[in-house]
Amino acid sequence: MGLLRYLIKRIVLMIPTIIGVTIIVFLLVHFIPGDPVDVMLGEKATEAARQALTERLGLDQPMYLQYWNWLTHALKGDFGISVQSRIPVTEAILERLPATIELTLTATIIATLIGIIVGVSAACHHNSKYDHMLVTFSLVGVSIPIFWLGIMLIFLFAAVLGWLPVSGRIPMGSGIDEVTGFYLIDTLLQGDFELFLESVRYLILPALSLATIPLSQIVRVTRSSMLDVLSEDYVRTARAKGLPNKAIIYKHALKNALIPVVTVIGLQMGKLLAGAILTETVFSWPGTGRLLIQAISNRDYPMVQGIVFILAFAFIIVNIIVDMLYAKLDPRITFE
Amino acid sequence: MQNEFLQRLSIFKKNRLAMAAFFVAVLLIILSVAAPLISPYDPIETDLLNKLKPGFWAGNWDNLLGTDNLGRDVLSRILYGGAISLRVGYMVIAVTAIFGTLLGLVSAYYGGLADIIIMRFMDVLLSFPPLLLALAIAASLGAGLENAMFAISLVYIPQMARVVRGSVLKVKTNSFIEASKALGSGNIWIMVRHILPNIFPAALVFLTLLLADAILYTASLGFLGVGIKPSTPEWGAMLSTGKEYLLMGQWWVTVFPGLMIVFAVLSFNLVGDGLREAFDSKLKR
Repeated sequence: MGLLRYLIKRIVLMIPTIIGVTIIVFLLVHFIPGDPVDVMLGEKATEAARQALTERLGLDQPMYLQYWNWLTHALKGDFGISVQSRIPVTEAILERLPATIELTLTATIIATLIGIIVGVSAACHHNSKYDHMLVTFSLVGVSIPIFWLGIMLIFLFAAVLGWLPVSGRIPMGSGIDEVTGFYLIDTLLQGDFELFLESVRYLILPALSLATIPLSQIVRVTRSSMLDVLSEDYVRTARAKGLPNKAIIYKHALKNALIPVVTVIGLQMGKLLAGAILTETVFSWPGTGRLLIQAISNRDYPMVQGIVFILAFAFIIVNIIVDMLYAKLDPRITFE
Repeated sequence: MQNEFLQRLSIFKKNRLAMAAFFVAVLLIILSVAAPLISPYDPIETDLLNKLKPGFWAGNWDNLLGTDNLGRDVLSRILYGGAISLRVGYMVIAVTAIFGTLLGLVSAYYGGLADIIIMRFMDVLLSFPPLLLALAIAASLGAGLENAMFAISLVYIPQMARVVRGSVLKVKTNSFIEASKALGSGNIWIMVRHILPNIFPAALVFLTLLLADAILYTASLGFLGVGIKPSTPEWGAMLSTGKEYLLMGQWWVTVFPGLMIVFAVLSFNLVGDGLREAFDSKLKR
């Protein structure tokens, strides 16, 4: 089966899953014990305000009608209006989305690049002290809660050493022309290198703490998959031919060792999205994760529903992309 | 069966790192269970005259690990926090084990429509990033350890159901199942007597690794202040309040609960890894 047909099949199969996701997201408001309007507005709300919100959320209609209304609006990208800030939910999410994408992408790139390099070098020095040290590090790395690591990094690099900013993203008033919303790109488009470096300084700590868990996993998997590949016959043949070590490792072995690594990167995407919620909270990074936590504490349920749906949707799409990439890398896999 | 299980355990016992982790884990469990007996102070009693006092490194032998912003003893809170994390962890495991096994078993054993409906529903739950689902459900249900526990279980039930379904499908093809059917055994009897004991190792490994994850998720919910009240002596919640004081140099409120999470998660992860290696490896007979 070709790539295109596989893609179409995946998208068709995605439809029932998406419907299921919308049902759960819709039901979030109905899981609230007691009257959701009371919970959202507080006890002191006037009768008129309560009435208005009830009507706006359609809570006075039968459940299936409520779902249908919510779904048809949601599919058009309309998740209603924030109970708290009174701006459309979609607008608020889109405004915050670039910050989250910038953070998660940077973390993914850091984790992948460093993870593969370190994993390969650990495998090449198998059973050495260096190898044992790296294995221990990656074991600890998966067990550290990233919010704690983030706080410790702030303490060390911002409070004690004073090298990096404590939290936040580069401030709005610092002269960035928002074109893409990705400050790293925007500042470069502007040609302002100093501003670019400044936005990097804000990004380093959150991206590093978000990268830790995937980094540790990638090191572990690259190392063990390299060890498997290095014992293959074709690697021995390449050595016998007298090829230089570098060529053997990077041309022959690594290409084949990367297949399980891609799977792990894919599996880590969900953790990255979830980790972004924690990292953004620790570093006051103005992304969707922080918006979600604020919405939860403000009991702003239309906002919560919108963000949960968008993040779940993004997760589904990323999974499809990873599956396709995986099949592309490994010719033994056929699209089925 | 019994014999093979013991053989597997002896492989586990030879893994020194896993055994060391096992003893740390047991120690943590004992400390948490004994928290009410050995804690020097009440974990929620405030003492504003004694707030943010450093611990033994500053010669304070009354509060070995110092006190927090409300004058509560950090050591006592950490001990009670262990009890809370482990309690949530065990409950998550119990709920996941029961529902995950039931759904996976029914799905694989009966197949057909039941399989499609159950597994499709599990797919829907799996299409949420894990923490996000727990967060959303816990946020809707409101604060309370039971709610947090239920929310975290929802993340693992589908994974468990998949693991169980996979192993049941394998066991189902064995001829002793066929033989038992021929002898006239009922479906329930076959499931309980023949299938369940055979999927036990796979389930055990999954559940051990889950305990570490559950502790991490509980701490995450506590840190984000979702589903767990801020006054609860929970490790994640303690970290979250301590964060503000860290920058002013009162590091002990944040450092110790964090270290406890690392110890607990690391030791349970290592035990789980050791079990997986022991049960996945081929036995040398």
